[in-house]
Amino acid sequence: MSAKSPLLVRKVAVLGAGVMGAQIAAHLINANVPVVLFELAAKEGDPNGNVLKAVANLKKLEPSPLATKDRADLIEPANYDQHLDRLAECDIVIEAISERMDWKADLYRKVAPHLGAHTIFASNTSGLSINSLAGVFPEAQRNRFCGVHFFNPPRYMHLVELIACSGTDAGILDELERFLVTTLGKGVVRAKDTPNFIANRVGVFSMLATLHHAERLGIGFDTVDALTGPLVGRPKSATFRTADVVGLDTFAHVVHTMRDTLPEDPWHKYYAIPAWMQKLIEAGALGQKTRKGVYQKVGRDIQVLELKTGAYRVSDGKADEAVVEILKNKNAAERFAQLHASNHPQAQFIWSIFRDTFHYCALHLESIAHNARDLDFAIRWGFGWDSGPFEIWQSAGWKQVAGWIDADIATGKTMVAAPLPAWVGEASRNGVHGATGSWAPATQDYQSRSALPVYRRQPFPDRLLGEERTYGKTIFETDGVRCWHMGDDIAIVSFKSRMHAIGDDVLQGVQQAIDEAERNYAGLVIWQIEPPFSVGANLKKTSGSGAKAPPAPPSALGKLFKNFKREAESLALKAARQLGVADQLMAGKLAEVEHLVEQFQVTTQMLKYSMVPTVAAVDGLALGGGCEFIMHSDRAVATLESYIGLVEVGVGLLPAGGGCKEFTMRAAAEAKGGDISPFLQKYFKAVAMAEVGRSAEHARELGYLRATDRVVMNRFELLEIAKAEARALAAAGYRPPLRAKAIPVLGRSGISTIRAFVENMHAGGHISDHDRLIAAKVATVMCGGDIESGSLVDEQWLLDLERQHFMELIATEKSQERIEHMLKTGKPLRN
Amino acid sequence: MTRQVQDAYIVVATRTAVGKAPRGMYKNTRPDDLLAHVIRSAIAQCPGLDPREIGDVIAGCAMPEGEQGMNVARIGLLLAGLPDTVPGMTINRFCSSGLQAVADAAARIRLGEAEVMIAAGIESMSMVPMGGNKPSFSPAIFEKDENVAIAYGMGITAERVAAQWKINREDQDLFAAESHRRANWATDAGEFRDEISPYAISERLPDLERRQIAVRTRRAEQDEGPRRDTSVEALAKLKPAFAAKGSVTAGNSSQMSDGAAAVVLMSEAAMKRCKLEPLGRFLGYAVAGVAPEVMGIGPVQAIPKVLAQAGLKQEQLDWIELNEAFAAQSLAVMRELGLDPAKVNPLGGAIALGHPLGATGAIRTATLLHGLRRHKKQYGMVTMCIGTGMGAAGLFEAL
Repeated sequence: MSAKSPLLVRKVAVLGAGVMGAQIAAHLINANVPVVLFELAAKEGDPNGNVLKAVANLKKLEPSPLATKDRADLIEPANYDQHLDRLAECDIVIEAISERMDWKADLYRKVAPHLGAHTIFASNTSGLSINSLAGVFPEAQRNRFCGVHFFNPPRYMHLVELIACSGTDAGILDELERFLVTTLGKGVVRAKDTPNFIANRVGVFSMLATLHHAERLGIGFDTVDALTGPLVGRPKSATFRTADVVGLDTFAHVVHTMRDTLPEDPWHKYYAIPAWMQKLIEAGALGQKTRKGVYQKVGRDIQVLELKTGAYRVSDGKADEAVVEILKNKNAAERFAQLHASNHPQAQFIWSIFRDTFHYCALHLESIAHNARDLDFAIRWGFGWDSGPFEIWQSAGWKQVAGWIDADIATGKTMVAAPLPAWVGEASRNGVHGATGSWAPATQDYQSRSALPVYRRQPFPDRLLGEERTYGKTIFETDGVRCWHMGDDIAIVSFKSRMHAIGDDVLQGVQQAIDEAERNYAGLVIWQIEPPFSVGANLKKTSGSGAKAPPAPPSALGKLFKNFKREAESLALKAARQLGVADQLMAGKLAEVEHLVEQFQVTTQMLKYSMVPTVAAVDGLALGGGCEFIMHSDRAVATLESYIGLVEVGVGLLPAGGGCKEFTMRAAAEAKGGDISPFLQKYFKAVAMAEVGRSAEHARELGYLRATDRVVMNRFELLEIAKAEARALAAAGYRPPLRAKAIPVLGRSGISTIRAFVENMHAGGHISDHDRLIAAKVATVMCGGDIESGSLVDEQWLLDLERQHFMELIATEKSQERIEHMLKTGKPLRN
Repeated sequence: MTRQVQDAYIVVATRTAVGKAPRGMYKNTRPDDLLAHVIRSAIAQCPGLDPREIGDVIAGCAMPEGEQGMNVARIGLLLAGLPDTVPGMTINRFCSSGLQAVADAAARIRLGEAEVMIAAGIESMSMVPMGGNKPSFSPAIFEKDENVAIAYGMGITAERVAAQWKINREDQDLFAAESHRRANWATDAGEFRDEISPYAISERLPDLERRQIAVRTRRAEQDEGPRRDTSVEALAKLKPAFAAKGSVTAGNSSQMSDGAAAVVLMSEAAMKRCKLEPLGRFLGYAVAGVAPEVMGIGPVQAIPKVLAQAGLKQEQLDWIELNEAFAAQSLAVMRELGLDPAKVNPLGGAIALGHPLGATGAIRTATLLHGLRRHKKQYGMVTMCIGTGMGAAGLFEAL
């Protein structure tokens, strides 16, 4: 391949079906990239036995590495004994076998002769030197050799470190970066070839520093986790639970790599596994995979290892109220000043780990990364921190913090005595990130972001502290929405409400945006600056003025990572909490609720029948009313990590913004004049069970997304692709659909057939009396009411049914109890 | 009291091996082909019979639609090569359809309306699911609470029986394990050899590697249902399949299955003409209704009814084929009537051998008649519960 021609990736091979290899293969399949997964041939039975086992295991992993379970079967199984010839047709080969130089060398020798003339060969090593690995790769092919380091779990972790060896062709790296960014949706950081590269080097050091100070200050592991999780802007798994999840043996391996390869490092003596952890590893307590590590689960109790006794006790460590108070201070400068000044051991602990991590990053930045931005993104994308270490330092007041670090070095409080590099203390320095770029110590200047063409697809890349950011030009702005454009012919509407809930002001704003787009633009895109897309209807009336703009945290991705598991588990609950109908209910203002439902229906119908194409650009949660917006847009463009669903049933209601109506229409259309039942039953199940897609592709399976809707891998490309879709629809001479006047429905016979199923659930004790009532109402709406089977109705008939039964449900005491309970506790009530 | 003019004798009773549904050996075998096969096989066992003498072919089927719709009895007999002059009809009383076919065929002979009859049972649960391809329930069912049970799935009714007759989980699992043990023993001992007509399965499958049609042939000669690897411990681990806090599991319920059976009945005169020996004599048949929500208890009403009709006492029964729809209802029926567990399903039951709904009655008639003869017993019964609340029982005497 010459450096100029584009890299066409027809097929990828992954060598090694271990935890990482199999999951990387799964993610390639998620991205519609054909993949061959290799593993050693099984000694007995089917030679593909080992790899097939790994593929089967992918279906069981949680959170799922697969966009939809059946995609696992699209991974082509292979073994080194029989199928090496298949490598010739692979444009990229990713090696992900065990971290043993001798094994990798053997494998390289074996596969190299079978690689295609253009094949790029990349190692997913996390610790071995890329140049050393290149040394055991045939010299003639070294220009196509490099490192691509994915993070676990690869579907969800945004970071991929891209590492060149001395001979890697620059053009090939650029093309590979394009593939990783656009096709796989990853955030690429170019790392230097130093041990553990950037993210693991800093992230693992931060964990070692945490270990060190916890032991020094006698803070229990559970308390450490309470302190080093969301309170400091990091994932809930914090420190020791992360170690358990990663595997204590794997953690030890990474630490030993640092011990063996960084003899000159000032922190070298800390690159060691504490005796207690060594003992756990020797006893086979490796963490989550062995169900025992720093933590273990006994019955319903989570227990944590107590260092003093060497025994497990119930995990109940908490951050002290006084410290929590400090950490909740939104002003970083004040927060750090208070931490620094406090004598509370927990405050001292947090200050110490930040201080030593800052110290470490400052000293090593030049050797491990090209600039400070790369280091911060590596930690944010690879370890799920809300902000990178330099961002935190800078926001806390660069000079102030630098002074404290200097003082602590002078008084011997820091882990090592090495002084901060000179650039830290430059008189003019107020940080490392500025308007012109991020600090690069090697060149002593500020480097701007990558100029590769792939990044032109990201009008608003992940935001970094200190960067200026304006989102286009405002067309109009209300309390509910901001409508804007980017100097072209597409109008964009973004919600301002918390979690982008849809209240009266948002409805009015969207209606106004549609009017505006019809008059002055070629199309309208609904796009949010941060996920979620929308958690649904908020029937709580917002106060007329002073509605606050949504807070814009520097990293939504960090948040997304923190939340992905929770989201996958309890999407419905979170959305339901937003359904703030309680106020009106308590005030007995049912008429007001009904008015809002009407407005909701008017808005979704406008999205569908406007004279310009409307495109929903979806990322993150899209629940209830948010899902109905998607269903009524001419096209949805959704990131893979979109969690879409109609969840109203969870709080005793039913979708009344056209969601039921759309499903009824889709079932009738899909039946093509034949039996509607099997199509409608699928949709009934989605609504009645409040099913939420675990990915955009899963949402398509459930029926929320249509065959014509598009899935995007990189959320930072979402807006650009959504605009392109809107423009393409407009260019094709867009006309709104004709209004359906004769929708066949299942009617009373359909209702009773669904009721038969519901009665069995009830008789089996699976659902309550009220569940049964709700399900019967959903069935009634979706079957078009108590009319003859096969009757023809129009959209308004179905919308009226939605509204009528929504109002009947909301008037019941039990639905009101459910709503109230959800608002109070965040948990569903089964009454 | 019967008004019969002559006895009805069973001269042939044969069946296919029973396959698992929906992914078992017959998953690609059409039920009309299976029916044609057992009819052909039955006729082959009556060398002296002129097929034109057959008065009618009555086939039982519980979900007579799709691949087994359009009067599958007539289609099956034509595919079997019987003359155009032989008529056929399909009947349905759910799980007793196959036994009902035997009873109806016998009745025609006993009344002197026919000399030779074929009764059959056919069901492919692989191709036509329980409830049919397009289940549809009347709105009227939900207008009155007492009618709701019409819509209940069979599993829910089994839970109701378990609760009302106090059949605990442990006993159900023990019963299920015993069913498998007996079925495995019987299979190994060759107990089913006389009654099974092996079927040559032929499947046409795409061979994507060689770009051609691959024809896969197999001989189906052994029931697919019995498990060698089951145990009370393994069964105890299964989760309730129907009720959240129930005791009925996939392991102590009957299996979904595919299968067919055909029975040739004759008058004494016809039998002599054809120079055939009887397997047994048909003694009577009764059905009775019970509440739909406890349909599994149906045999409790039907068994005494048929015994009274025939003037037999329960103690005289040597062998009872009680269809194991569920361990819960089987145990409830056995305890309620005091049936001897040793005499009930000595070769295993539907939990192990499978339950191809409408075929079961004819299949177990074959098992009973061959079993009675082989073990030199006299009186036997085939009985089962029936969805929406019925029980059926047929009485036979080995000769």
